[in-house]
Amino acid sequence: MTGDQDHIFRLKFEVPSDPQLLSVVRSAVGQIAAVSGLSEQDCRSITLAVDEALANIIRHAYQDRGGQIEISCQRFVSGAAGGPANRLEFLLTDWGRSVDTSELQGRPLGEPEPGGLGLHLIRAVMDEVHYEPCGDHNRLRLVKYLTGKKTAATPEGD
Amino acid sequence: MQISTRRSGNATILDIEGDIDLYNSPELRRVLLGALREKGTGRVIVNLKGVRYIDSSGVASLVEGLKVSRAVGNRLSLIGLSPAAREVLELSRLIRVFEVYENEEQALGA
Repeated sequence: MTGDQDHIFRLKFEVPSDPQLLSVVRSAVGQIAAVSGLSEQDCRSITLAVDEALANIIRHAYQDRGGQIEISCQRFVSGAAGGPANRLEFLLTDWGRSVDTSELQGRPLGEPEPGGLGLHLIRAVMDEVHYEPCGDHNRLRLVKYLTGKKTAATPEGD
Repeated sequence: MQISTRRSGNATILDIEGDIDLYNSPELRRVLLGALREKGTGRVIVNLKGVRYIDSSGVASLVEGLKVSRAVGNRLSLIGLSPAAREVLELSRLIRVFEVYENEEQALGA
């Protein structure tokens, strides 16, 4: 606890850009989502979104050559439930190659082609996705509102 | 992740245990494509009952397997989807492109 009325907790850690450590981060993210009161399904989907974001950094920002990734997770509560003020937020920072935002469109879903799914999964799960190249580093901010708006795994009819 | 391979008639069954992610999906791809291309195999059944997590790279490996199965003229089926595996395939809107069965008996009877 920080004592800040709107800011319940912040966890910050750094991991090497190494696919072998993704399972460790998934465990942490799943626990963070669980203590934030999310359903089992939402815990799974948020874990998937953060894992996919990290995999994209490993593959595209660092191009499998290694580097550091900083993961900051913050839980905010303020105002009405279901709005952006009541949220779980992940900020991922890397010091690798910046991705041209025009490359962040993904490909059409439903086509049996391998690859290009990660970004779609992130966008399907999270309520806000912001990517920002900032000079020598890049920031990806993923936000999940804690009630209302969007639930995971609602693809067929949306 | 661990993959065990066994035969049932002309079907090869891959029993997978553990998480499928960027780290180990190349191994899934290697084993799956190898099984599909093996002579005498009429179909490959991927048993995901022991898979608690699968990411887009794992889904991509399955999709690649599907394409190879079509190219070589045999069948690829998925069984035992956990909630996590089902959710990822649904979010990817790919669940309908696969033959999906509840269990091995249903798959072998289809």
